[in-house]
Amino acid sequence: MAADVHSKQEVSKIDAPGRRTEPPVRPARTSSVRKTGLIFFPAFDWAISPTHPEREERLLYTRDQIFEEGLMDFPEIVEYRPRLAELKDVARVHFCVPDVQSQVTEAHLIAAGSTLVLADALMRGEIRNGFALVRPPGHHSMRVVHGNRGFCNINNEAIMVEYIRRKYGVRRIAIVDTDVHHGDGTQDIFWHDPDVLFISFHQDGRTLYPGSGFTSEMGGPLALGRTLNVPLPPGTTDEGILYVLENLVLPVLEEFDPQLVFNSAGQDNHYTDPLANMRFTAQGYARLNEMLAPDMAVLEGGYAIESALPYVNTGIIQAMAGLDYSNVREPDYVPGRFVLTSEMRRSIESTVNHLLTIWDSRDDLVAKARQEHGRFYSRRKRIFYDTDMITEGQEETLRMCTECPGYLTVSTQAARGYGRLNTAFCVSVPLFACRSCIEDAREEYEEHKSEMKYDYVYLQDKPSDRFRAYCTRTRNEIVL
Amino acid sequence: MFAGIDVGGTTTNAALVDGNKVVKTAIGPTDHHEILGSLLRTMDRLIEGVDVERIERVVLSTTLITNLIAEGKADRVGLVLIPGPGVNPKDYRFRTEPVILEGAVDYRGREIAPLRDDQIRATAQSLADQGYRKVAVVGKFCQRNHEHEMHVREVFSKAAPAIEVEMGHRVSGRLNFPRRAATTMLTLATRDHYRRFAEQAERAMRERGIKAPIYILKADGGTLPLDKSLDRPVETIFSGPAASVMGVMALTPVGQTSVVVDIGGTTTDLALILSGKPLLSSKGAKIEDMLTHVRAFAVRSIGVGGDSVVRVSDGKITVGPDRAGPAFALGGPEPTPTDALMVLGLTNLGDMTLARKGTGIIASKLGCSTEDAARMIVDTVVDRIVDTVNMMFLEWEQEPAYRIWELLQRTKARPQNVVGVGGASPPLVPLVAKRLNAVAIIPEHAPVANAIGAAVARPTMTLSLRIDTERGMYTVEEDGTLGEAKGRNLSLEGAQEMARQLLRERAERFGIQDYADEAEVVDSEVFNMVRGWSTVGKLIDVRMEIPAGIISSWRGEHGS
Repeated sequence: MAADVHSKQEVSKIDAPGRRTEPPVRPARTSSVRKTGLIFFPAFDWAISPTHPEREERLLYTRDQIFEEGLMDFPEIVEYRPRLAELKDVARVHFCVPDVQSQVTEAHLIAAGSTLVLADALMRGEIRNGFALVRPPGHHSMRVVHGNRGFCNINNEAIMVEYIRRKYGVRRIAIVDTDVHHGDGTQDIFWHDPDVLFISFHQDGRTLYPGSGFTSEMGGPLALGRTLNVPLPPGTTDEGILYVLENLVLPVLEEFDPQLVFNSAGQDNHYTDPLANMRFTAQGYARLNEMLAPDMAVLEGGYAIESALPYVNTGIIQAMAGLDYSNVREPDYVPGRFVLTSEMRRSIESTVNHLLTIWDSRDDLVAKARQEHGRFYSRRKRIFYDTDMITEGQEETLRMCTECPGYLTVSTQAARGYGRLNTAFCVSVPLFACRSCIEDAREEYEEHKSEMKYDYVYLQDKPSDRFRAYCTRTRNEIVL
Repeated sequence: MFAGIDVGGTTTNAALVDGNKVVKTAIGPTDHHEILGSLLRTMDRLIEGVDVERIERVVLSTTLITNLIAEGKADRVGLVLIPGPGVNPKDYRFRTEPVILEGAVDYRGREIAPLRDDQIRATAQSLADQGYRKVAVVGKFCQRNHEHEMHVREVFSKAAPAIEVEMGHRVSGRLNFPRRAATTMLTLATRDHYRRFAEQAERAMRERGIKAPIYILKADGGTLPLDKSLDRPVETIFSGPAASVMGVMALTPVGQTSVVVDIGGTTTDLALILSGKPLLSSKGAKIEDMLTHVRAFAVRSIGVGGDSVVRVSDGKITVGPDRAGPAFALGGPEPTPTDALMVLGLTNLGDMTLARKGTGIIASKLGCSTEDAARMIVDTVVDRIVDTVNMMFLEWEQEPAYRIWELLQRTKARPQNVVGVGGASPPLVPLVAKRLNAVAIIPEHAPVANAIGAAVARPTMTLSLRIDTERGMYTVEEDGTLGEAKGRNLSLEGAQEMARQLLRERAERFGIQDYADEAEVVDSEVFNMVRGWSTVGKLIDVRMEIPAGIISSWRGEHGS
């Protein structure tokens, strides 16, 4: 387990610094004998609704393709059986209102649990990397969950990150979100976390759901620059995305030097995706995963279920397993079919340069934020749950701690249509919190339990791995 | 009366069963160079003094195909692939260098790239020039559209008429292209030999006045009329272990969970029966280094047996995998587990003085008493078996699942019984059972359990129907049947009825129609195909099977 993480540092010394096109060395690359772990969980018996893009049929043709290819028989690949995540694994990340049970189905717990099975295999050194080819997806799920947004209820990657940190003591993790939609849920969860680098590239939010993910969103005051958003013009090709990877993602990763890298692997940048407008190909996806060499990839969106997914998934599995992916192509693809216009190229270059400036000045930005804000920092947010038609208002307050990332409170009210849904007060203590933040956070929880304006009060006490939910009407406390 | 004969690696066993009684058994040696001769010699001993008119069926189980492949005596087969996009075909490990053709079909059977006739002609010519007489032609997703494979065969028949072509879709329609290619090659490589064997066996039976139908036992424990099995020789591979499992099914209480332990001279075969159902290997049998689509019981072979050589290395006992001869007690050159069992008074197969002398070699190397050495040797063997059994249960528990119900329904299973079959099992099985907390069973007739299993096994059959209502077509996985499916609004019930009908027809083709009504639906699902927010069709999958089982007369029941 930890040996994996530590061995990385030794090897990274050997790796010549300054070679920017090389991905940083991580456990995944330290061994050539270990296999790629795969969990394929298509949830053939689960759908949001019969005609919803997130339905039984979504991975059917992918199943046909990867089974017909015989990929599971390759000695480089080992298939694992999924399991259900525990409610506690969900509570470690989310404040589910009113409780975890009412926000998840078995399918959600299996998708999340699959990432945990692979995480264990990775940390035990059984596999060199893993791909959770599972549904339902999760990257639009935020810290507070009142319902489903963007087809997501709970955030699979985030649940995996907190599980690995808790169980294996890993601290620095990078998540690269390659879905065409901004990974706003993952961003929200790690917004204030300086130890999690979150990079999302996606189609420009002015042209696509969820309408966020601009360069100005760069993390909370104590984690500025640890969130990097790369909005891309519609029509961006393989060339454009690989440019971002080579010139922004890989160099930033090398400097951040994470112990683990995860790919939040959406497949809807594909040129045939019905919900977006990009021009990415199966070859591009395979190349991306080869260059990024993530320790773990977790499927997110991707709804071109016939024209893209069978080919993209074959390519990603091959790239992660170190197999030759050059023969993977869509039936209607011819090389040179898509060209990146010079206008798009200039736009991408300027975005990348801007983000590199943010990244380089991240410590100055945090120092400046410390001067600007007092002991506490607050922001208000409105969140819309498209699938469940819920609107939520939040006020988030961070203790600007000098010793640790600081504890966070969130006051939330949700409404569906004109009907009031739930109100809650949530207190989150980071895993690496200082003593004073731990104590103050616990106190805030106790104090708010008597405030009748909240239906529920929650304490997410990561240092003690205990998750409390208090109902102010019944005065009942549940501890996970 | 039913006769069962199993031609195994070392012995040929035969049994004659009447109703629910074993009326006669016979055991003879197997001569690898003369499978049929071995079979007939034991058969003759079995039917000596028996009224052959009363024999109603004869079931054979042989190592013929296994031996052909192991000894490299199978025919040479060329491989032509139509892989289309995806895995680089060079990454597959076939026993021969495949020829790659242009052309492709996708997962729904739509042509996505055309074939090139000039390329096919050149390939046919070149394979003929290299002296190939048999060629397997296999396309990715060919089971969902036969046109490409058929066309290649057509062009071959003109360009290289001497070459016999077999097409992948006729051998198996299950997903997994490289397995289909390997299975198609093996089918071609063994078919002529198998046909010769079947003809000779049939003739020999008739010469002995046996008029009863002759069946062959398949690797999934089912029987098939010999004359209907000619096209599918590979399915009879590993019929030996299957016969043992069927024997255990017949000789133990119905519906229980058992480990089948067959300890031979140098190997031990292990299989699981879970709640009365033999566990099948999830994707298909592995034949040497070749992964195939052959439906087979999940049998694990470990290189430990009664005659395995026992050695001491680095102060530790090792057993097998080789054999130097019989046990020391029987005049062999090296100490074996059999000698250790004798020292402990668990068996009485040879000369005790020699057994002690052999075991004493190990004792002196370990610096312990002969009894202690014997105990350690036996423990080593039992450990290997128990570890493997536990691993098999664990692997079964951890088999991938693709549906929520599959994941939720599977619970942990533990064996109720450890059942020993074969000659060397009786002394070891109680020790294995004790470690697994199970009941040891050495059934009556354990040495010939495989022959009894063959005698009373009933036919098996699977039928996997896929209907694509948008494309108006259906396919049957087992033999690549492809037909027109009418009606966009076909219901699941309608599809199941269609599957039942197709299974009935298939059972008739294979001469096992009497069992068609035993078929059950094991799995079915419907996928709505939605394009642009409206349903344009359905994909319906229905899987039916006649599972492995024992013919009803054995249980004292009436009926087929």
